[in-house]
Amino acid sequence: MGEVIDIHTHPAFMEPICGSEELLEQRRQALGLYKTDTACLEHIHNQMRCAGIDRLALLPLDLSTQENLLLVSNEEIRQLVDLDPQRFIGFASVDPYRPDALDALEHAFGDLGLAGLKLHPSRQNFSPTSDLLTPIYELCLRYNKPVIFHAGLSLEPNASMRYANPLEFEPVAARYPKLRFCLAHFGFPWVRETAALLLKYPNIYADTALLYFDSAREFYEEVFTGMLGRYWIDRSLRHQVMFGSNNPRFEQLRMAEALRTLGWRSGTLDLVFGQNALEFLG
Amino acid sequence: MFFHKSNTVLTSQYNQFILITGEVAAAIKESGVRNGIVAVTSNHTTAGIMVNEALECLESDIDDALQRLIPENHPYAHSRILRSYGSTAGNPTGHLKAMLTGYHCLFPVVEGEILKGSAQEIYFMEFDGPSQRTYTITVQGE
Repeated sequence: MGEVIDIHTHPAFMEPICGSEELLEQRRQALGLYKTDTACLEHIHNQMRCAGIDRLALLPLDLSTQENLLLVSNEEIRQLVDLDPQRFIGFASVDPYRPDALDALEHAFGDLGLAGLKLHPSRQNFSPTSDLLTPIYELCLRYNKPVIFHAGLSLEPNASMRYANPLEFEPVAARYPKLRFCLAHFGFPWVRETAALLLKYPNIYADTALLYFDSAREFYEEVFTGMLGRYWIDRSLRHQVMFGSNNPRFEQLRMAEALRTLGWRSGTLDLVFGQNALEFLG
Repeated sequence: MFFHKSNTVLTSQYNQFILITGEVAAAIKESGVRNGIVAVTSNHTTAGIMVNEALECLESDIDDALQRLIPENHPYAHSRILRSYGSTAGNPTGHLKAMLTGYHCLFPVVEGEILKGSAQEIYFMEFDGPSQRTYTITVQGE
């Protein structure tokens, strides 16, 4: 198997950027991860090695106007990438309501060199089709940077499922066919809608960061061989699905193992575990 | 006299045997206790304390026996989102294996030395790693 990339992780608890008890507790409450502790980089490396993962995409979230909070800043992401550039892929986030949103994003791409943009319409409280987003999408196109949208259920506080149905994103895919974007969490529970969009729009990707019921093996089997046709991903969507864990909320090790038990061809596993992420990242 | 210390260990494998007999002996010396008891406890519910012979073959057999008794692929009830954590409970095997090994061990301390059989060694047992773990060593006596 080639390089393995986890396209969906949250670095809020990584020790170099979570240095005080006050910050730790703030992030626990903000992410709804109430008992998670700080993790030193050696522990992160151990987790990655056990799960067979070579690189992690680190996703921040800018909640400046909605919650007066940067749930990991773009600068902190850059700091982590600088600490371990071989293992970390840094994404940016921007609150579209910030008056300086475009400048902040241009700084993140142009100066900080971040690899893509994370947006969370439910929690940042915008519609993906809002005119507010037009210059942001255009900036992503200009820099050839992909977008990861939160889609579907979120267990975070202050994040309803409004703006989270995958169908909300169809006009974006149609209007910007060269904008690569990912519907995170496979848009659960709307996984059939996500599959339909993947089938029609080659610029849409989805990640596997979903584990809302049962064990990883049971849930993936239910979703990918029950809610979806058993062969849909292996035959038709194999170039658009990326391994993502949503770590630390979900279990990186057992999710990675479970995906390998679904009966997908080895070539499909290579695509899902790394090659598609490389394409997505451009 | 009462002596107590906590040791932190960064485990690196999903299931891992870590010998800690030396750390326990060092703590007894540090305590200054000549005659009494020493207790070693794990602070966790998915990591245990075990006493057994430190042989590669036995570690393999114990690991194999635990996996046969408690397989990874089984419809455990402890496989769900826990609201109080906000994350997935996916470690039922860790809890069950730790139940089998127990979370502590106890030895006499005589003339400043741990009184144990020549084959007895103390292990910290990781069953849901990698993780950052803590175990405690308490020495009480005179």
